[in-house]
Amino acid sequence: MAIYTEEEARKIMEKALSFSTADACEINLQGSESGNIRYARNSVSTSGHRSNQTLVVQSNFGKKSGTATIDEFDDASLQRVVARAEELAKLSPDNSEFMEPLGPQVYDEAINYVEATANITPEYRANVANSSIEPAVASDVTAAGFLDDSAGFQAMLNSKGLFAYNKSTNLEFTVTMRTNDGTGSGWVTRDFNDVTKFDAAEASKVAISKSVMSREAKAIEPGKYTVILEPSAGLGLLSGLGRAIDARQADEGRSFMSKEGGTKMGDKIVDERVNLWSDPLNKEVPVATWNGEGQPLKKTEWIKNGVVQNLAYSRFWAEKKGVEPVPYPSNLILGGGDASLEDLIKSTKKGILVTRLWYIRSVDPQTLLYTGLTRDGTFYIENGAIKYPVKNFRFNESPIIMLNNLETLGKQVRVEGNLIPYMKIRDFTFTSLSDAV
Amino acid sequence: MGNAFFFTRLQYESGDWDVDQRMPSNLLNSLVEYTTLAVDTKENIIALSSDDIFNCPFCYLSGHKLVQFTKKEKENFKKYVTNGGFVFVDDCNHDIDGLFAKSFERQMDDIFGDVALKKIPNNHEIYTIFFEFEDGPPTTSQELNGWGDDLVHEYLKAIEINGRIGVLYSNKDYGCEWDYDFRNKRWYKIDNTRFGVNIVMYALTS
Repeated sequence: MAIYTEEEARKIMEKALSFSTADACEINLQGSESGNIRYARNSVSTSGHRSNQTLVVQSNFGKKSGTATIDEFDDASLQRVVARAEELAKLSPDNSEFMEPLGPQVYDEAINYVEATANITPEYRANVANSSIEPAVASDVTAAGFLDDSAGFQAMLNSKGLFAYNKSTNLEFTVTMRTNDGTGSGWVTRDFNDVTKFDAAEASKVAISKSVMSREAKAIEPGKYTVILEPSAGLGLLSGLGRAIDARQADEGRSFMSKEGGTKMGDKIVDERVNLWSDPLNKEVPVATWNGEGQPLKKTEWIKNGVVQNLAYSRFWAEKKGVEPVPYPSNLILGGGDASLEDLIKSTKKGILVTRLWYIRSVDPQTLLYTGLTRDGTFYIENGAIKYPVKNFRFNESPIIMLNNLETLGKQVRVEGNLIPYMKIRDFTFTSLSDAV
Repeated sequence: MGNAFFFTRLQYESGDWDVDQRMPSNLLNSLVEYTTLAVDTKENIIALSSDDIFNCPFCYLSGHKLVQFTKKEKENFKKYVTNGGFVFVDDCNHDIDGLFAKSFERQMDDIFGDVALKKIPNNHEIYTIFFEFEDGPPTTSQELNGWGDDLVHEYLKAIEINGRIGVLYSNKDYGCEWDYDFRNKRWYKIDNTRFGVNIVMYALTS
């Protein structure tokens, strides 16, 4: 069992720290038990269980630092790994941006561990596959899916007296459904800390109906359309915005957040209904309350009423700029509304429903322009109803322009650890067609 | 209207003249941004068959469908252009084999004779009069989209009257390219409406 209690973890790490002769030393210990099942062509292809544990030692002499890892925790092994880290540190050149480890911190009680998820059994996973494959077969559809669940812990201890511990659980599921005539494709993703929120049969049903509905798609002319972006599609572009909040890149003139003579901090950059924040204690998307640097994570507003509130400052850059560090977010939450997907479709005179975007690549980092393709269910909407499936498009769009052309924010859905609403967007730019199903 | 430049859209009876509604604001915004021209920010929409056309220094005509002028429309178009007016005609289908292109070109042949509408060279004054466009008309995102004729038209056509363009004709669908909320222009690296400034400056100063 690779999951140690707080006491067990502390004991191992303190033992390792006792061997340190460096100016400072930071120990990270993590372990996880995870299980998975994979299926394709309507049959299970792999299933397995993984048990991993790693101890990482970072030692420094002045601004020289070295790192070594090990997965055996007896005294002799701990002594050996610390010695190796110190040896590497002495060999290293000075790192002018090295930051001393932090002293003791106070953290909120995290809520990202759910016992039920830690207790998932191989039978449960087999049933998930079955609840995908059976209805797929019945619908003349072929399923390919993957379920991965894990329970684990991470802990940190350093020579300055900092100690942190977090236990977490997570589950990720995706399935792609392809109609057997090869012309339709549907897809769904689900992820939770709490397995009791997961309904594999419901998720599979969504993907199956998308695949069946998307058969024999018609080509319609590329151009600017009103789109309804499902949360997964929205996240594809929003993560680009999430990556643009680094203060250093903004200060150095390398990012979207840069502007003549400074940064966009305090500027209104998107529609005033847009609020973007991160919160480790959000019940739907909880994460650890501390990060890899040992910094406490708190609820942080990034965009409020369309205005940039914060940029993320690493400890080094914050010190250089004489400001408090602002840790990077571990999750993104975009405020939503009450409208369901059905409501959004009903209120659309002419538009396109997008299930998913993929193969997203940056075209211009400074304007956050991205290109990519739609996939696995793209539908034409007319007078409040889905009329027919359409061929996939290539898009060229920026999350900034997208959030300036905001029509409606719908209900939020958890996707890849973030909380993203359905979004209805005007003038979304589709530039060309793709023949890919 | 006073002495300010105003943008006139021409209505014609046979097709859909009412396309790309946000384009004029976007273009007018660029004129304000880049030039010292006094600009009336309201789009002026008039019927081609009305004599109001003779008070308009710059007209725009576009659509996807049939261009078949009525007798009065034909008379006005000819008189307006021959008297020194300027019409920018933009093919919303961006397709030289499409209905708009074929019927509009037939209409021009009919009015001005079948050699009047000609390709203009890519070093024409219109490409350098304000902003520099070394390669002739800038491309649009519609031209390579796997739809329609899937070609980049590397030229514009025009009917010249006494050495000056009276009808500028594009299959590039600039109307669609510029049809977005002008406030979003600040997020683009390169403002794609700049060529529109050249068209207006040419119309007013040549």
